[in-house]
Amino acid sequence: MLTFSDVSKRYSKVTAVDRLSFEIRKGEIFALLGPNGAGKTTSLRMIMQIIQPDSGAIVFDPSITTNNGVDRSRLGYLPEDRGLYQDTPVIRTVVYLASLRGRDATWSRKKAVEWLERFGLRDRMNDKVSALSKGNQQKVQFISSILHEPDFVVLDEPFSGFDPINQELISGVIRELRESGMTILLSAHQMQLVERIADRILLINNGRKLVSGSIDEIHRQTVSDTKILVQYIGDVDTSRFGKIPQISKFQPADNGNWEIFLDDASSLNDVLTGLTSAGNITGLKTADVNLHDIFIQSFTNGGKDHA
Amino acid sequence: MPDRFRILWEVTKWEFNRFFKWMDLVKGLLFFLFFGLIGGTVGHWLGKESFSPPEIAVAAYHPFGPEMFEHDQLRFTIHDGTNTDILEQWLAAGEIDGILTIRSVDDASIRLQGERAWLITLEQFLNDLRQDELIRESGVDPGLFALLEEGIALNREFDAAGTSTTVDKIVAGIAIFLVLIAVFMGFAYQFTAITAEKQQRVTEQVVSAIRPQTWIDGKILGITGIGMTYLLFYGAMGLVFTAVLMNLGVPVGSALALINPLLLITFILFVLLGILMWNAFYAALAATIDDPNTSQKTGWMMMPVLPVMLAFFTLVNPDSTPITVLGLFPLTSYAVLPARMVMTQVTWWEPVLALLLLAGTVHLFRLAAGRIFSTAIMMVGKEPSLKEMIYWFRKA
Repeated sequence: MLTFSDVSKRYSKVTAVDRLSFEIRKGEIFALLGPNGAGKTTSLRMIMQIIQPDSGAIVFDPSITTNNGVDRSRLGYLPEDRGLYQDTPVIRTVVYLASLRGRDATWSRKKAVEWLERFGLRDRMNDKVSALSKGNQQKVQFISSILHEPDFVVLDEPFSGFDPINQELISGVIRELRESGMTILLSAHQMQLVERIADRILLINNGRKLVSGSIDEIHRQTVSDTKILVQYIGDVDTSRFGKIPQISKFQPADNGNWEIFLDDASSLNDVLTGLTSAGNITGLKTADVNLHDIFIQSFTNGGKDHA
Repeated sequence: MPDRFRILWEVTKWEFNRFFKWMDLVKGLLFFLFFGLIGGTVGHWLGKESFSPPEIAVAAYHPFGPEMFEHDQLRFTIHDGTNTDILEQWLAAGEIDGILTIRSVDDASIRLQGERAWLITLEQFLNDLRQDELIRESGVDPGLFALLEEGIALNREFDAAGTSTTVDKIVAGIAIFLVLIAVFMGFAYQFTAITAEKQQRVTEQVVSAIRPQTWIDGKILGITGIGMTYLLFYGAMGLVFTAVLMNLGVPVGSALALINPLLLITFILFVLLGILMWNAFYAALAATIDDPNTSQKTGWMMMPVLPVMLAFFTLVNPDSTPITVLGLFPLTSYAVLPARMVMTQVTWWEPVLALLLLAGTVHLFRLAAGRIFSTAIMMVGKEPSLKEMIYWFRKA
């Protein structure tokens, strides 16, 4: 659906995107992850033709291009910087935004009513946008980005501003859109949700690619397969962790737990003595490495120097 | 309809409907009619009151004769034998409006309840009496005195086609005023529309859907549409009002006679292009404003008023060389030339050339606005400098 080749973008003294390359396949959910300032939003804005790259190429699938470049009516966009016309009724706003993407008013109105119904906003469709809560405005904004049934939609932080119930609702809708054939590029900080819905992930930092692939592929490329949750009572001498060669990374977790990551070929037996020397263990269990762990490991400076 | 024009039409409709409310127009009209009715009724009532001649009792009239106290707006009754106390009782009871006592040609007094407008008329009447009496006493021939009073009669003989009358000036002044209203409307709406979009963070999703040039073109057309609608509405109301005045016998026919169809169409074309041009200017400038409360650029918004002010100089001398040049210069022609056309005779090529130059300038302004707008609209927290704006325009 999209090839992002060797793209760079620089703002006066900062290189936001630095020779970044990736490819998004038709009908997949592709997640672009990275810490704040990694270059995610700049990349998405370049894809949406809002800003132009300094170098490199962004090539769309021929099915959504015309002689004049990408057909904007086939794209959808939920920007991170959200906003709607505040003094206009909800239904008029979404119908207008769909008309800018090439849909006629009758079709858009019918579809808008269906979507508003689904998001529990049908009764509010004639209210001014300013009368809605922030969360409901977010729903209207989400509807506006997909109402015209684009082939390719870019969702920048689609879960932000929603409570967990609505986050689940949105993630369910995103999966449905993929099932219907839509290609989705999203950027988000809710790792659990991303892990559940994304087909492939790209981790970037300082505008550069760190790692990409499916969750399994990224697992293999980034961290060990073994994570141990160790609960201590009393003081913990974390300097001992650094002296255990099988430990690739460690970090404090909730309730006095410590998360310990082991190198690939290591087993629990190899590190038990070392862990007991750091303090009094009251509990110990193994856990799966999740995307959150991968994210933290990828964007902190190595593993053993953490304290 | 090609997609680009269909989307342009959607944006134009949206911008027009965002700000134009038929009900507001109707309410405004009803408001004026209501207050016009009240004003008219009160004025009529006051007029009737003021035209009711006051009753003035003349207690003493020497050295004038009683037969001399005749006036169509003042009613005198001679009471030189009546007791002063009785006259004062009548005055207190409101049966008379004043007690006039004349002691000599230079000494007179009037007693009344308070200041009255008719005192000016009375004073003028007494001065005339005094003047006649003094002429009579001095033996000057009244005919000779009347001749001395007369000035030279300067007969004005104009080339009729190129002459501007007071009616011309009033019509031209009204036309300029209507243009001023439309320009200010563009200023208000364009400024509100764009700064609000920036502040409400609507910008990003719209520029991802359509080209900034299409967006700004739609804004310019939509908001110009509002200005023109108001202009035509109030212009039509003015014509109706004038027609009503004609029916009531007020001599305003010469004003209506000035408005021929060709002049009207030319005027509308000039105003349309002028408003389009300045709306493009406003849109570009508004896009560069981050916070309207603190921006230093809001002063620039007053710039389009300058040509309208210059147009008022047309009323003084429409045929002067500077005014003729300003009538062709695109930044001023939309206001100056229509005023000139009402006031004096212009050659056929002047409006044609001015319209062509103006249309070309509108196109240039529109392109420049699109290029400045496309970069500035995405800037938040910082305003671009003039140097940056020129750079964007040249780069684009």
